[in-house]
Amino acid sequence: MECLTSTKIQDYIEGTLNSVESAMVRDHLIVCAACKRKYNEYEILEKHLLQPVEIIPPAIIERRVLRELFPLLPSYTSIFALVAASFVLLVTGIYIYFDFANNSIIQALQLTSNTTSNWLASVIKVISTVFSAVYTVFEAVNRVLTLLLKVNLGAEVIGLMVFVLFTLLFYPLLKLAFRKLKG
Amino acid sequence: MIMDEDQVLIKKILEGKKSSFEELMKKYNRKIFGFIFRMVRDEEVAIELTQDFFIKIYGVLSRYNFEYKFSTWAYRICYNLVIDYVRKNQAQVDSLDDDTVTQKQLMDSANYVSEDGFENLAREELHNYIWKVVDCIPVKYRELILLRYIQGLKYDEIALVTDLPVGTVKNRIFKAKEILRTEIDKDGMFN
Repeated sequence: MECLTSTKIQDYIEGTLNSVESAMVRDHLIVCAACKRKYNEYEILEKHLLQPVEIIPPAIIERRVLRELFPLLPSYTSIFALVAASFVLLVTGIYIYFDFANNSIIQALQLTSNTTSNWLASVIKVISTVFSAVYTVFEAVNRVLTLLLKVNLGAEVIGLMVFVLFTLLFYPLLKLAFRKLKG
Repeated sequence: MIMDEDQVLIKKILEGKKSSFEELMKKYNRKIFGFIFRMVRDEEVAIELTQDFFIKIYGVLSRYNFEYKFSTWAYRICYNLVIDYVRKNQAQVDSLDDDTVTQKQLMDSANYVSEDGFENLAREELHNYIWKVVDCIPVKYRELILLRYIQGLKYDEIALVTDLPVGTVKNRIFKAKEILRTEIDKDGMFN
């Protein structure tokens, strides 16, 4: 039998020869030192190629890709948190300025809605209802705290606490809604 | 439809989960960078191309067809990216693609220390040496060896990635191994 070609030896190593060809190669390798040597070298090569020398990628790649794809701009949730916080500050400011404790702002809103018609009246009514509800909560909290602590806490502080609570309660909902919006 | 691990990650990425993309990137980073680095043989370029690859993948992920294996699709994108670079910078990439790979070239770039010539090479040294030879063979053979052994693709998968017939892929890989064996043998490294 003629000496084996490189292709034949590699096919034999990969196990792609049929049983007859495979037997012929096996028999030849027993009697031919040159082909046996070549076969051993291919086997060594294959073994080393199957375990590539690993190249560790620099960590900078991941960082750069993430910075490129997800720039560090404020997220929708943080924008909403900011808006909510501003709202809290604004309402507290209005409350302090207009003496919210005396209900003057609610009365003013109710009067405005009575003199206004259509959708604007409805909007003002909704706002005054929200303000009334908040005021009721504020009064209740104020009473409880006054009873517990025997101190009359500043209306401003309690008002702020109510709004902070309100913001915290709504934050997860806002986050969820904006995640869907982003997706 | 039953989804594999990669496809589950892709689904989450498409739903807007940023952390899933990070996970996918971590999974493929080594293989992709390893392949690109060995193809272009320049770390800075390899870093740039790996970044471009992940950015591109993210951009076209919505076009991924879940009926196919993600890795094959991704490697195809990676392969095209690298081949484009190689074609544009043929001179640089081909600079070491001589027909003969000299020991000096290999040893200059390897952290190689041997007091007794090449006869007493430890297994690890032989291992590194073989891979250095891989880095020096012509691109058309190197790319297939890398796809086969770094990415672990089968012949038919390599054919899909490279757009070559399966027979050509197999023949070229056999030819590449013949070149490798001859070069290593010429240097007496098998002894």
